Amino acid sequence: MNTTEILFFFLSAVAIFCACMVLISKNPVHSVLWLVGTFFAISGHYILLNAQFLAIVNIIVYAGAIMVLFLFVIMLMNLNQQNEPQKGFWMKLAGVISGGCFMMVLISLVRQAADLNNKTAMTTDGDIGLIKNLGKVLFSDYVVPFEITSVLFLSAMVGAIVMGKKD
Amino acid sequence: MNAIIVSALLGVVMMFSGIVLKNKSLLKYVATGGLLILILANLMQTYGWYTVNVNSHDLLRFSKFGLFFNTIAFAATFLYLILSGKDIEHTGIYPAEYFALIFFVLCGVSIMSSFNGLLMLFLGIEIMSIPLYILTGADKKNLKSNEASLKYFLMGAFSTGIMLLGITLIYGATGSFLLGAQSAINSAAASGAPPRASYLQIAGIILLFVSMSFKVSAAPFHFWTPDVYDGAPSVFTSFMATVVKAAGFFAFIRLFEGQTEILGPTWKILISFVIIATLLVGNITAVFQQSVKRMLAYSSIAQAGFMLFAIYSANDLAKEGILLYATAYSLATIGVFAVLIKMKDYTLDGFNGLAKTEPVLALTTTICLLSLSGIPLTAGFFAKYYMLASMVKAGGAVWLVIVAVIFAAVSVYYYFRVIQSMYFKDGVAETSEITGGFKIGLIFVAALIVLFGLLPSLLLNYFYF
Repeated sequence: MNTTEILFFFLSAVAIFCACMVLISKNPVHSVLWLVGTFFAISGHYILLNAQFLAIVNIIVYAGAIMVLFLFVIMLMNLNQQNEPQKGFWMKLAGVISGGCFMMVLISLVRQAADLNNKTAMTTDGDIGLIKNLGKVLFSDYVVPFEITSVLFLSAMVGAIVMGKKD
Repeated sequence: MNAIIVSALLGVVMMFSGIVLKNKSLLKYVATGGLLILILANLMQTYGWYTVNVNSHDLLRFSKFGLFFNTIAFAATFLYLILSGKDIEHTGIYPAEYFALIFFVLCGVSIMSSFNGLLMLFLGIEIMSIPLYILTGADKKNLKSNEASLKYFLMGAFSTGIMLLGITLIYGATGSFLLGAQSAINSAAASGAPPRASYLQIAGIILLFVSMSFKVSAAPFHFWTPDVYDGAPSVFTSFMATVVKAAGFFAFIRLFEGQTEILGPTWKILISFVIIATLLVGNITAVFQQSVKRMLAYSSIAQAGFMLFAIYSANDLAKEGILLYATAYSLATIGVFAVLIKMKDYTLDGFNGLAKTEPVLALTTTICLLSLSGIPLTAGFFAKYYMLASMVKAGGAVWLVIVAVIFAAVSVYYYFRVIQSMYFKDGVAETSEITGGFKIGLIFVAALIVLFGLLPSLLLNYFYF
């Protein structure tokens, strides 16, 4: 096992553990903090794939901005009490069965998919996630979706103002 | 490209006209005029007079089929604004923003009618959905509207997540966002070798199917529909249940046109299950509703079951049929909702005796309801006929057609209950003020329904020019 593999397994274990803790912890603030941990672990994966730009953006945008916003909302709305209503037994059972089936499908998918046979991750020679290549692709092949995204943001902004403004 | 650019620009124009125009009642005229420009711009592209060309690297592909659907969607919105434009102004305090959001929705609709890459499909669906979440909650003082908006947003966010996972898996298998891209294991295989199933792609397509079924409210992904349609202000429910839903189906059929071979025979079992569940849930639950608005929400689920036939059969008749169905269903639903908005009481009893107080409204509502239930001489009959004919042509599922006909008969029951209370029950139906122009608009919609019911070829022949 070389260093990259050790790092990969370590980061994966951290990501899965944090993700489980997001679901398990009763206190919403703790959940959000565990989610930050998950994002950091995933950013570590990006760095292993030689995608430094994505890793930094992931940390700045998700772990930084969005999670801070989450924390603010939870604290402002005073949701940090453990007053979550208990779900019924059958509801939980149905959730476990359907979620478990989905997980089984996804795991067997990764194990059996012929597309993934003999493929290795581009840990050192991959350069897709570098800012130079990303910028080039974004402004050549994907320039139309990139521009059309502005309509999406504009409508979201209009909506935020309509919803948030005091009557 | 014309329609996408012009609709986005018109959205901005509407926002600014909210600042410039002091008289809020002028806004709907600006919006109506804007829609005419939009229709014109779209026709210009359809007939090749003038097209804005942007190299989208094949992520967008403009076909006659898609452009023609755009025209239908814009025309339906035009009628909707003429009939219900005044009610939009009375809904909240930001009419300019509501009109702007409607134009952004139309931008999403025109992307969804011409996408060729999954990335554009995602953007189109989001541009269409996000303004709708806001329009659903436009009535901020009403708790039901707030609840509906939040519910719609949360459920919509989940379905978007499922869609993104599906797109990711497909991209992983094919290395491309384009529709009909072959999996790498197949394109690498020697010619003549039997194609191998790519599990990643299959799982991705099924996840896409789930999220698209959510968007068009097919059972068992329909749970949001009754609450959202019931809670949203009626004017916006009308828009949501017609133009947006038809666009969802159009994107659905475009997406699955070439994909069904990949899934093999299992696909037929999956979609038959969804069709039967949708017809069952929609029709049976609608029978028990007392509120006409909620009944229409369930009926829109039931109509979705019929439109799903086009995705099952996926042949020429299905393509013609979905256009006809979108037209017939949008016209009738816009008509019924326009009347419903004017009613003081949304329950069935509220319609008692409408024929005596407002005979024109009662007559046009009756025509719309007859069209929804698929009675001959109305557009709804031919719409259902084309759907079932396409199934028969595709072959192999006559039992499904029989089930559909039985459920169509069930649907007659709950549509006729409204007609019954309008004509045969005593009471004084209270309506808000009805203007002469509104009546003329309703008569025009009803006339269109009858016209397409007599001569559906008017619409379909136009498609081939």
